[in-house]
Amino acid sequence: MIRPELAEENPGKKIIMLGNEAIARGILEAGVVIGAGYPGTPSSEILPTLAEMQKFYPHLKLEWSVNEKVGFEVAYGGSMSNVRSVAVMKHVGVNVASDAFMTACYAGARGGMVLISADDPNSYSSQNEQDNRYFGLHALVPVFEPSTPQEAKDMIKYAFDFSEEYQSLVLFRTTTRLNHGRADVILGEVKVIDRDYGFDWDRSRWVCLPSHSRVLRMRLLERFEEISDYADEFPFNALKLSGEKINGIRYGFVAAGVPYSQLLNALNYYGIVDKVSILKLGLVFPPPKELIKKLFAYSDEIVVVEELEPFLENIMKQIAFEEGYSKELTIHGKDIFPQNGEFSGEIYLENIARLIGLSYKKVPVPENMLIIPPRLPILCPGCGHRSTFYAIKQVEKLMKTKFVNSSDIGCYTLAVYKPLEGIDTEVCMGGSIGLANGIAKVQSSDNPVLAILGDSTFFHSGIPALINAVFNKNNMLVVILDNRSTSMTGFQDNPGTGITITNEPGTRVVLEDLVKGCGVSPENIWVEDAYKLNETIKKLEEAVKAEGVRVFISRHLCSLVESNQFRAQQIIPPSIMVDQEKCISCMICINKFGCQALNSNEADKKVSIESSVCRGCKVCIDICPQDAIYEEIE
Amino acid sequence: MEIKSYNLLNVGVGGQGVIRAAQILSYAALLDNYKIRTAETHGMAQRGGSVASYLRFGTEVEGPLIPRGKTDTILAFEASEAVRIFNYAGPETVFLINENIIVPPVIRQMGIYYPNLTEIRDFLKNVSPNIFFIDGIKIATDLGNPRTMNVVMLGALIGLQVLPLKKETLQKAILSYLYSKFHDINKKAFEIGIEKGVELRGGSND
Ligand SMILES: Cc1ncc(C[n+]2csc(CCOP(=O)(O)OP(=O)(O)O)c2C)c(N)n1
Repeated sequence: MIRPELAEENPGKKIIMLGNEAIARGILEAGVVIGAGYPGTPSSEILPTLAEMQKFYPHLKLEWSVNEKVGFEVAYGGSMSNVRSVAVMKHVGVNVASDAFMTACYAGARGGMVLISADDPNSYSSQNEQDNRYFGLHALVPVFEPSTPQEAKDMIKYAFDFSEEYQSLVLFRTTTRLNHGRADVILGEVKVIDRDYGFDWDRSRWVCLPSHSRVLRMRLLERFEEISDYADEFPFNALKLSGEKINGIRYGFVAAGVPYSQLLNALNYYGIVDKVSILKLGLVFPPPKELIKKLFAYSDEIVVVEELEPFLENIMKQIAFEEGYSKELTIHGKDIFPQNGEFSGEIYLENIARLIGLSYKKVPVPENMLIIPPRLPILCPGCGHRSTFYAIKQVEKLMKTKFVNSSDIGCYTLAVYKPLEGIDTEVCMGGSIGLANGIAKVQSSDNPVLAILGDSTFFHSGIPALINAVFNKNNMLVVILDNRSTSMTGFQDNPGTGITITNEPGTRVVLEDLVKGCGVSPENIWVEDAYKLNETIKKLEEAVKAEGVRVFISRHLCSLVESNQFRAQQIIPPSIMVDQEKCISCMICINKFGCQALNSNEADKKVSIESSVCRGCKVCIDICPQDAIYEEIE
Repeated sequence: MEIKSYNLLNVGVGGQGVIRAAQILSYAALLDNYKIRTAETHGMAQRGGSVASYLRFGTEVEGPLIPRGKTDTILAFEASEAVRIFNYAGPETVFLINENIIVPPVIRQMGIYYPNLTEIRDFLKNVSPNIFFIDGIKIATDLGNPRTMNVVMLGALIGLQVLPLKKETLQKAILSYLYSKFHDINKKAFEIGIEKGVELRGGSND
């Protein structure tokens, strides 16, 4: 077994790390035992990196939990048992975990406990760009935010010491460019924590019923006050004061995280980094009041540089008010910087130039601008989701109706685009079935209601909604796209494969049994291979027409995973050809199905198959009305 | 070499190895003792979308993102992707572009017009005078493995003398990401890339 550099015990060595690797390294260095969470971009590499390290540090106990709430609870159970524990998720995952989180913050941490929230300004891979710093304000826990991978490693290591010292949970907030950026990082020492582990039977603390919670709430407020008092000494906050004026004005900048390092780029670019005061926050909540007061005293104008909501800006305004400032101090924030999206490099250059009165020239758009049509992400060749959506369309056609296709989050969300246009809703994970419950209550029976979601999503949060449908007789057809993988976020295993994050065989949860257990009657459950198109259409039609709550499991291993397995085992996929004599250029395969391997030539529009792209699923053979597509058998 | 900040933007299509190139280049920059920052497209990258990686190194780099107009070198593994991010270039920017065009499948299938290489060349001429094209796939395929296209392109950057990294360190970084059975062919790809870069620069091999 080759020891990855990331797992070396070689303090002082400098290596390149992805932000998420640096976070994993910091978790290792902190002596953490339990790591749990659910995949979600941009957080997904943290736990797998720890899983690689686990081979050399067997004390690590890691898992992909079934959803973020469970992942958080797993970690919190660890904290109750006196081990350092971390819960890892993307920003919207914190919504799922928040029920546990909000009350856990009352009882506080025993073993150091950190919740990592990976936020995604610009929604690069997310359904929204919510700003999770507010969860710190909401729960009264400190929010740490690193600005570079090195700082991320050092800060998360410190977060566990901090958590134990104050018995407080820590919310560790990052954004995409930190998680998915590389930098040089110096390895630190891996801490081994030698102490007794195990649960302590402290009912007054761990049983949060009203009579206890009122007391715990008082402790939470006390803790929070202590942390607020400490904020000025927080080692990752830094105040740099300058009395200089630019055009007669003393500027004081406030920033944290990625915007802090981007701000430095811009100030360096204009050569004014030493002419302004800068408050860099590593602790974005609660605020370091003394540092802020000093900054105010040295500034005429405060410029808060933060992506998304005016979180720090409002804090600055509140403190300015409390300190009795009025006209003599201006606080800029969202009047200068946008409240949506990520700040690109030039947003800093442009807005700082405008504020300070420097000149910034935008890159001109040439007159002969060449428009390049967008390159949207698409379903892979051979993707079982494509054939399932195609089958659903065929059944709609047979029944001469339109379905309500309530859907969900996963690769299959890409079926919204042409030519499939197969989904009508997508709000949050598990939402497909939940929404369908409501839609089914009022939708006329002419438009059957379908809820379409992936296997991992079903395990995550589809199950309660399915039970709800059964219980409340909200009739619908649930289609589970079982590709045996959590593909969208990087092919993580899930209960359906029964393989754990450290690659050990666990126990496989069988979907058919599970839905039966949810109360779906056995005659209302169908299973078919997603590659068997004709059978799928036949059974789907039956399922759509049946009564009650029904489940159709469309199963085929994710084609990307399967093609990698084939390559490793040197299996050659079937070779699919088009008989040029038989092809009548009807374009059904291309215009209705749209697998990337299908091409039509310019001249006569006859179809051919690009063999380097085709993965041999053979679904197009069934689609071609002329039987022009065939498998070439040597 | 004392460099304040060197900015490279590498673009391509998911699956072309843009992330791998970022890994290689940042490792090489580490070997040459620079401070490094990158920002990359992860997540949906494998689904055939546009991908970009920003790479910055030098003594004065803090944040990973490059402002528009301020890129030193744009390395495009796919030609139309270079147009998409044209405004990251200024008049000094050097483009090294793989002549390959990958028409997005949906665009091709729906019969929507997609620009060709001539149009791309003509357009970019107005953006910067330093545009170099290379048939990376053909060179790599002639060598026996189209997947060495990236290494050919990295070699060409050295040959063009636009990358402030030592040839030896870059080669070492490339090989460190490959199984030893692929070392020989990639060494060749790197050398041919360098020659090609020298040729494009119209210089001599010194
Ligand atoms: C609450 C929440 N957690 C995580 C994610 C990230 N995420 C998006 S899709 C997805 C999983 C999809 O897996 P599956 O349902 O099996 O569909 P597939 O991508 O395999 O088709 C995840 C985890 C999210 N959007 N929301």
